[in-house]
Amino acid sequence: MAQPVVSVKNLEVSFRTDNGVLNAVRDLSFELGEQEVLGIVGESGSGKSVTSLALIGLLPKTADVTGSVQIDGEEIVGRTEKEMYKMRGDKVSMIFQDPMTSLNPVYTIGWQIIEAVQAHKEMSKEEAKAKAIELLKLSGIPRPEAALDSYPHEFSGGMRQRAVIAIAMANSPRVMLADEPTTALDVTVQAQVIQSLQSALEATKAALILVTHDLGVVAGVANRVIVMYAGRVVEFADVDDLFYRPSMPYTHGLLGSIPSHTTDSTERLSQIPGSPPTMINHTGGCPFAPRCPLAQDICRSTEPTLEQVTTNSGAVHLSACHFRDEVSAMPVASMFVGAEEILEGVDDSGN
Amino acid sequence: MATNDTETTTPTPVLSVRDLVVHFEKKSSLPFAKASATVHAVCGSSFDLFPGETLSLVGESGCGKTTTGRAVLQLAEPTSGSIKYEGTELVGLSRKEMKDIRQNLQIVFQDPFGSLDPKMTIGSSIAEPLAIHGRWNDEEGPELVAEAMRNVGLDPRFANRFPNEFSGGQRQRIAIARALILKPKVLILDEPVSALDVSVQAGVINLLADLQEKFGIAYLMIAHDLSVVRHVSDRVAVMYLGRIVEIADKVDLYSAPQHPYTQALLSAAPMADPKAERKRKRIILEGDVPSPLNPPTGCRFRTRCPKAQDICASEMPELEDKGQGHAVACHFPEAVQII
Repeated sequence: MAQPVVSVKNLEVSFRTDNGVLNAVRDLSFELGEQEVLGIVGESGSGKSVTSLALIGLLPKTADVTGSVQIDGEEIVGRTEKEMYKMRGDKVSMIFQDPMTSLNPVYTIGWQIIEAVQAHKEMSKEEAKAKAIELLKLSGIPRPEAALDSYPHEFSGGMRQRAVIAIAMANSPRVMLADEPTTALDVTVQAQVIQSLQSALEATKAALILVTHDLGVVAGVANRVIVMYAGRVVEFADVDDLFYRPSMPYTHGLLGSIPSHTTDSTERLSQIPGSPPTMINHTGGCPFAPRCPLAQDICRSTEPTLEQVTTNSGAVHLSACHFRDEVSAMPVASMFVGAEEILEGVDDSGN
Repeated sequence: MATNDTETTTPTPVLSVRDLVVHFEKKSSLPFAKASATVHAVCGSSFDLFPGETLSLVGESGCGKTTTGRAVLQLAEPTSGSIKYEGTELVGLSRKEMKDIRQNLQIVFQDPFGSLDPKMTIGSSIAEPLAIHGRWNDEEGPELVAEAMRNVGLDPRFANRFPNEFSGGQRQRIAIARALILKPKVLILDEPVSALDVSVQAGVINLLADLQEKFGIAYLMIAHDLSVVRHVSDRVAVMYLGRIVEIADKVDLYSAPQHPYTQALLSAAPMADPKAERKRKRIILEGDVPSPLNPPTGCRFRTRCPKAQDICASEMPELEDKGQGHAVACHFPEAVQII
């Protein structure tokens, strides 16, 4: 890969809480090139949203961030708010889940796009307006001239999200971050938004980091995928390798728990017993061990590092599992068959 | 469940909905304002639910699927039409009469955080329906609650805990236990798993399948996730802007959808399979769903339909059976393989 657009090394984010230190993100590293799409998947509380906020420097002041995040060669960690202000929108932009709260209800769509365009470039009003129309057209909004004078409440959810995409790509950023960009939308609208996201990538040549819990969206859009669990990357691979040769039991569990809409299987879905751990005062061992049907003594005592899985292709495929090669050879989700709990209790640990 | 294979007569539906119309009057908040607008939430839906089966209502926000479910329980007042539970007409029943019938028609809501009273122990929440219907007694009651908890995979020792001590998946199990304690014949599931993480969702889906097998309950499921729907349903009804546009056995519906909206919906749903995703052709619909305040004339879908002709604007297509219970409301139906 040529000079990566995004380069993250040993990123750690923690919060001090009344109950102790919460390690939201631990030892996260990856690189991403131009026009590449990285999917970050994981369940609620896995640290995926905190990761995306760290990449654009939007974490609250209470967060302790260490490690390095470089965007186009420029370090983000440790920057002042004033310096970040110049980078946001220009080098890195963000698309949030809820377009109603990310657009300002009292300004027109046109005003908000023109504001984004003029924030980083000297441009006359007419030029900025023409640029705004072009951006709206690119993101698939019908009758862009008329849309300029509309207020966000006059738009449907899908239209709003496309307006947000227009703003995000206004300055041809190097990286766009999208945190659950289609989660609040209906499927036919989701398809429209994904289409405009893809045309935005083509137009700007930006890299995209797509944070989502929807493995279907990831399968369709991403080139590479990070699976996060308890604040850590537990698996990293090309999209095909991840879906067809998962090498971490948690990934197996995730894949096995989604029903297929292409087959009429009425087989039981694999379910991962238990619930994700809190990340306060983590002590040794693999964080997934309490829920893992393959867990051995070593898993409870030593946390596995993220290492290459033995593959035929030699492609990068990292897994944080002591038994990564064995797990890689197993049929998807096979280890969870019969691993269901009979009775669920209340998790008393850590309280 | 033992069924007689030689039985050829069609079974009697446990729930029968005919020409259901639900309109909401939208009142202006201004004093002395002129007459209000009407939200056409459900406009002439008809379907049957048979004992022990799962029928899913799918569609996008605002298509009337939730209102249909609520109307069945008389939680939304039908404007016209008929809803029969085992032959008894529900529309027009008094509150008292409806209360008795509701013992057989229960509902599980989407949000397990909003549907449990945070100040009640989960044991009292689960027992409450028994008390409301005068079926609680101190001898059997506690055992019924314990059994209901075991049925949904919860340890009865936790009956005196409060909802905040449980995770989302566990709370949804509690809500299911509460709905099932009266042994209803029909359970309406309004997006029962869409608020849950996937790994937790799988557990609740498995549980619902087990309970149906054990008790033979009919499920009327309201959902938007097409993968979940395919997994749990026997039959599927697709709704668009207040009308059922296609209803069929799930195998027929997914393998040979006939309505252009069903086809677009299936083509847009993401699949967790990268190779299939790269191969598929998406039908991307133009524009948005029109407002139910002012639905289009004729076919509701015509404003976004790639096949629309003049007749679609003038005549509303009826839901017509094309054989084997596969009914479509389209002037130009054509089976197309999408996935």
